[in-house]
Amino acid sequence: MSALGHYLEEEGIATVAISLIRPQTENTKPPRALWVPFELGRPFGPPNDPAFQKRVLVAALQLLERDSGPVIIEDFAEDDPRARPDPAWQPPRISGLSPDRMPAALAAALETEIQQLAEAYRRRVGQHGRTTVGLSGLPMDAIGRYVGGWLRGETPASPRDGFSAILILRFAVDDLKAFCLEAGAAGTGKPSSRQLGDWFWNDTAAGASIIALRAIGLASQDERLSAILGNFMVPAVRVAMMS
Amino acid sequence: MTRLADLLPAQAKRLAELECPDFRTAPWVTGPPLSGRRVAIVSSAGLVVRGEDPFRGRDPDYRAIPASTKSEELLVSHISINFDRTGFQEDWNTVFPLDRLNELAGDGVIGSVAATHYSFMGATDPVQMEPHARELAGRLKRDLVDAVILSPV
Repeated sequence: MSALGHYLEEEGIATVAISLIRPQTENTKPPRALWVPFELGRPFGPPNDPAFQKRVLVAALQLLERDSGPVIIEDFAEDDPRARPDPAWQPPRISGLSPDRMPAALAAALETEIQQLAEAYRRRVGQHGRTTVGLSGLPMDAIGRYVGGWLRGETPASPRDGFSAILILRFAVDDLKAFCLEAGAAGTGKPSSRQLGDWFWNDTAAGASIIALRAIGLASQDERLSAILGNFMVPAVRVAMMS
Repeated sequence: MTRLADLLPAQAKRLAELECPDFRTAPWVTGPPLSGRRVAIVSSAGLVVRGEDPFRGRDPDYRAIPASTKSEELLVSHISINFDRTGFQEDWNTVFPLDRLNELAGDGVIGSVAATHYSFMGATDPVQMEPHARELAGRLKRDLVDAVILSPV
């Protein structure tokens, strides 16, 4: 981000960057930056809090009126109130994980779970008028079958022209996560990302399936499969919790 | 919150020490007061408008996001899985604050909002992005943009 600021500013466009990692910004020295104490992925802070988001945006934009640079790095003082867990939040009901974590059993459980979460997902899409599912271009039942095929040891053909089968698997897994997390947030309460993540990775067949895919990748002799399934399925923080 | 102490030690070290080109210049562009500025968002979240091809791996180019884009049309295709997506799932303004920019323009805090916004895929080597970023500057100028808010994930 800082490098982009540097290039654009060299070309005559004034920039101000939001910084999520302060030492990185100190190292790369963009013309102007506002460091924010929010988790990665939330540069403007809590969702559905327009007043808070606007305070972040204005604090950043006001750095454009300073004449004391370069370099300006300021700190935003407020924490994200949505980082706190909401004890009132309840995830949707699902069958739960069976002790059988063999990939074929997980594949079957995954397809069942997708059906069980469909109502909560539809409710959520109705509430928000949008979904972030859509990278793979596949409908959810097809995503379940496609991911399940990989779990069963098959190498399904790519269902989309111009995209390799393994790339579609990555997008399908991104869609599966989005589907489950949107369904998970459909009920009452305002769950933190940590709450949703704990539920997804600890309690759902989808989370267990993705963890199993990572293990399949790491055991594979196929370097590309190993790299993609090893690095782009399970977040590093969850891998650390499992070890 | 993203204080380094909240990340895994290896992840914090990698992010803090992420390699960046050794710039020889310290550019600094001034301009009119905020109330006279035309503002564009440039994100590094790998944002794509639904129906377009997602970023593949570490593509160095950028995607255009017209200001008329609806929230239901925007997707994140960033390769990294190590940042929260639930905030964006609930409200795109956590990553792409177009609604907030439009409100600021309506209130007269900024002059206007660009006709087009842009996204790169932030895990790409900045050196690979450079020619695309410099070409993007021309597009921004043609849209009379004189302020860019850079939004990472």
